[in-house]
Amino acid sequence: MTTVSFDPASADFGQLVQPHRVHRRIYTDPQIFDLEMTRVFAASWCYVGHESEIPEAGDYRATTLGRRPVLMTRDRDGSVNVLLNRCTHRGTVLAVEAGGCAKRFVCPYHGWTFAPDGQLLAIPFPADHPVEDYSTLSLGRLATASYRGFVFATLNADPEPLECWLGEARDAFDTIVDRHPGGSIAVMGSPQLLEFVGNWKLSWDNAADGLHATFAHESYNTLGEKVDTETVLARDPGSTPMVSKALRNGHMVVDQRPGIPQGPWETMRKVPFREPMEYALVNAGHAGLLNLATGSMVNLSLFPNLLFVGNQLLVIEPVAVDRTRLQLWLTSAPDAPGEIDLLRLRVDEDFVNFGTPDDLDMFERVQRGLSIPEMEWIDMSRGLPDGSVDGDGSTIYGPITSEAPQRRYLAHYTTLMTTPAVTRAR
Amino acid sequence: MTVAAASSSDGTGLARPAAQAAVLARYDELGTLLAGMDDRPRADPGLSAEAAPVLLHEARLLDAGRFEDWLAGWTDDAVLWLPLSAPAHPGTDQSLLLDDNRRLAERVEWRRDPSAWGQHPPSRTTRVVGSIEAWPAPGGGLVTRSTLLVDEFRHGRHQALAGYQIHELVGGDLERRTKILVMPALGTGVRNPSFLL
Ligand code: FES
Ligand SMILES: [Fe+2]
Repeated sequence: MTTVSFDPASADFGQLVQPHRVHRRIYTDPQIFDLEMTRVFAASWCYVGHESEIPEAGDYRATTLGRRPVLMTRDRDGSVNVLLNRCTHRGTVLAVEAGGCAKRFVCPYHGWTFAPDGQLLAIPFPADHPVEDYSTLSLGRLATASYRGFVFATLNADPEPLECWLGEARDAFDTIVDRHPGGSIAVMGSPQLLEFVGNWKLSWDNAADGLHATFAHESYNTLGEKVDTETVLARDPGSTPMVSKALRNGHMVVDQRPGIPQGPWETMRKVPFREPMEYALVNAGHAGLLNLATGSMVNLSLFPNLLFVGNQLLVIEPVAVDRTRLQLWLTSAPDAPGEIDLLRLRVDEDFVNFGTPDDLDMFERVQRGLSIPEMEWIDMSRGLPDGSVDGDGSTIYGPITSEAPQRRYLAHYTTLMTTPAVTRAR
Repeated sequence: MTVAAASSSDGTGLARPAAQAAVLARYDELGTLLAGMDDRPRADPGLSAEAAPVLLHEARLLDAGRFEDWLAGWTDDAVLWLPLSAPAHPGTDQSLLLDDNRRLAERVEWRRDPSAWGQHPPSRTTRVVGSIEAWPAPGGGLVTRSTLLVDEFRHGRHQALAGYQIHELVGGDLERRTKILVMPALGTGVRNPSFLL
């Protein structure tokens, strides 16, 4: 047995992620996890929320970014801010609800009052407080930028522009948004929140894993077979023309469309309350609209915390080295006929109930297996040498059984971990 | 593409507005039943006593893994709904699940499939049903509210979820036409909730 010993903060970290294998410690070491919360989550652009969730001035939503409590707010000018949810007096978390509307945030501890843009507005009994310039005591701010209404934020002191960071991932992003009538996509009220006893990267290893569909999701495919429906996951992963793409910055795409020429709706079993609306839409000559009730069949993963799966946004929230919370938000098509969102509600329950439990079980089993110190390595060599690379080297294309997307996000992860960016609140 | 021929029983054959309205009518019924629960008057003692064995029997079937027997106790137009919070509406808010009879049957098949890893090995559950209240339902039968504590043991760990359930029980056998299960923990994060029925 070889033993890897290293200072988690040093460049030796690179030993843990090799071209063909990965060391268990990146999934099990609490020190590495703590570093990730800054070097990966604080230093990268992370998805925070969607503009449609905070339509009016004062609307806000709370979430976490690398475990830091943050707020996405809309201020009086209509602009969107992402702020650290922490009073600048003694540190109290200001908003403890998942969201709401607040014209101002009043700290419950000693009454300091902040505007939705983070400015300190008032300190009670100011006469005996020496502060002269309130602007030095604004809430911590994150660099914030939106793409197609999706709000991203970062604590990186010098982030690359969001559009550059997205890079080639913009193609898939646009595909997902543009299929909505009027390019209009929104995010519905509350998410499903699922937790698993495992490291957050297990959901990354799984996101572009085309091979597991045959095995881990056998029960989902069996439900389809019983009613003569070939689910999207039931294709032979060794011969399907579906394509996986490993992009710069750890982003990944699985384009399932080439493998389902009959269109996505035909891959769905009969979900509750489907027939009356389906029949009426088809009869009125709108059969094609039904594909909008399913996902785009382009799974896009934006490292480190956003996956587009079906019509859901899956947001990965690391909780501890062996604990992860998944937020599953459902997107709607506000400018589509009403039937579409009604169908989406039932369609997206389908995989969450008959597919996701099997994924969650795999994540927990892997975490348990990785607890064995004597077995150090995880094999990630499938598909080596990497397949076709496009002209400028930005995208690696391959069959969906290739582990190129996993290798590539882990290489990017290693860069983030070994060459840490300066992070700070603004 | 083709769609199976119309049959009046499943609502096919309706024009678009009517088809959507038919779906929304059932959804509204569910949303209203949930929203109005907290404001109901004191329950009917006789009906509450009548409801108790029905609810306790259901809990026992589920804890014993007698899912096929459980499945047999639903009406043809049954709905099992697990909203993420209350109040909620099945047509505007994401739910954990909203099953009709067909999906309930699939759910039981899924649980029996040995490759449904999320339930193999199965969760061992213990349900505690309490605070049973019942009122007459508008269309005949009963509406009940009861509290529910479910302890789940699986993979060497356990989690306990508490909440309440609303049942609409109809006909001479008091079959389940509607069941709404409200588990506040669903709004904060639970491990694999596929044991909840
Ligand atoms: S901690 Fe917020 S006002 Fe004192
Ligand atoms: Fe999966």
